[in-house]
Amino acid sequence: MSARTAHRLVWLAALLPSLIFLAHLDASAVTSTSALLNTAGRLTGVAGLSMLLLAAILSARVPGFDQPFGGLTRLWRTHHLLGAWSLILLLLHPVLLALSAAGASIESAAATLLPPISDLASWSGWAALILMMIFLAPSFSFFGRPRYERWKKIHRLAGPAVALALVHDFWLSRGLPTWLDIVLWSALALLAVGAVGWRFVFSRRIGRLAYTVSEVTAVANNVVELSLEPRGRKLRHEAGNFVYLTLEDPSLAAGRGEEHPYTLSSSPDEGQLRVAIKSLGDASRAAQTVQPGTTARVEGPYGRFFVTPDRVSEPELWVAGGIGVTPFLARMRHLLHRGETADVCMIFCVQDPAREIFATELHNLADQLEGFRLNIHYFYREGPLSGSYLDEACPDISRRSVYICGPEPLNALVQQHAAAAGIAASRIHTEEFELL
Amino acid sequence: MKQAVYTIFVAFWACVLTVVALDALTPAAEAGDGQETKSTFTLAEVAEHDRLEDCWMAIEGHVYDFTAYIDQHPTPPEVLEPWCGKEATEGMRTKGYGRDHSERAWQMAEQYRVGSLAENGN
Repeated sequence: MSARTAHRLVWLAALLPSLIFLAHLDASAVTSTSALLNTAGRLTGVAGLSMLLLAAILSARVPGFDQPFGGLTRLWRTHHLLGAWSLILLLLHPVLLALSAAGASIESAAATLLPPISDLASWSGWAALILMMIFLAPSFSFFGRPRYERWKKIHRLAGPAVALALVHDFWLSRGLPTWLDIVLWSALALLAVGAVGWRFVFSRRIGRLAYTVSEVTAVANNVVELSLEPRGRKLRHEAGNFVYLTLEDPSLAAGRGEEHPYTLSSSPDEGQLRVAIKSLGDASRAAQTVQPGTTARVEGPYGRFFVTPDRVSEPELWVAGGIGVTPFLARMRHLLHRGETADVCMIFCVQDPAREIFATELHNLADQLEGFRLNIHYFYREGPLSGSYLDEACPDISRRSVYICGPEPLNALVQQHAAAAGIAASRIHTEEFELL
Repeated sequence: MKQAVYTIFVAFWACVLTVVALDALTPAAEAGDGQETKSTFTLAEVAEHDRLEDCWMAIEGHVYDFTAYIDQHPTPPEVLEPWCGKEATEGMRTKGYGRDHSERAWQMAEQYRVGSLAENGN
């Protein structure tokens, strides 16, 4: 099953309650404008809640579960879209019902929106919606870009929001036969509760492996590479995977005990794990000074960037931007370890030579890997990556599969050039590390 | 997507505030509207109003004149017609798939109350 099919199945599951609702409508649902608005209002409620529950289910972050979906970042994109649609539909839900009631009187429209205090069923819906506005405001940058940890904390309000939305639904829903209503929503609710339970209870206990920071190498003035030795069981992963890393160093200025996602830069064949951390926020800045001997907890692996991580079975084009070089570095180390040949044309985009991280090692690896061509693109000199630069650096681009990891503008640009070169979308692979 | 969500978010509050403002600006309807209020009716008297053009119902001990409301009810008039002139508690408590009307619906019904049902019905 392709990742695209897997995502379509998620959307189908999210739309299923709405389809069942529509199948159970009778003719009276569309006889007047008021009835039509009422039906639309109820439908948006059903669709919005099912999308909210599906988004909750996808938040589980079970290692391996993301594989059929093409990796965790793609799963998150669907989670994000489901959340967006859920909020849009649930905002429309009370407005449509109020407009429908306005057919009777403006008073009943107002009473629909602001019912008597005793109407706890409606108020639980209101409470859920207000919580959604709060916890989704940072996700959609309502009031500027959020800080990662703050966003994450606020996002936990999703739990009570889902619970209140379910109370509202079980109390008021009447579009389906009772048994079907109960079975359908209970199934989705159980999956959502299971997913969140996994995430906040089990994954913390059994999903995290204990490691020790054995070495801290300064790669540039704002990038370090940590080496991690397993204390017990070792993480099994592929080149290009990422993990959630929690550093327990008590002397850390920020981010102690917090989990943050980082790409593994080591070969899966190495005994240790390596992660390169660029100072981008409070926690990653503090991590620059982490002390060897620190306890680290590793949860993963996640992501599915490379189709064949252990070898290069067909020609590939790699485009890395800045710290986005890490999955490629992991794969180069891995390919060399395995003695593989690599028909790869790589373009490493950096601002200027000072930011060319891992420069020496990259050139060494490129020299040792048979068939590998490394190009460094300097933004300060050449500006944004152009189609002509790509053609010159990699004349046979159209026969290559494309892998991109870097900032969003670079990602979009390369996808555009690749599409223009006639490369099918299914052969263009991206790994996004910008979460929002 | 961010813009779309934000737009709907703003539109939502605009709609809610508009409805609330309109409601505040609309003069409250006179209670009872000149009907013979809080009188007592027998089921036989209620039964005289058994048409859509003159539709009374007895619900949980109260008597309502829903004639003016028939057209505004979400379901078509045929659904309500059989209850005109009858004891309609069952209809009120079990709409759709056997579920009660909302708290709001019960509140709205108050506007149409014309009296109570006589103790021993007939």
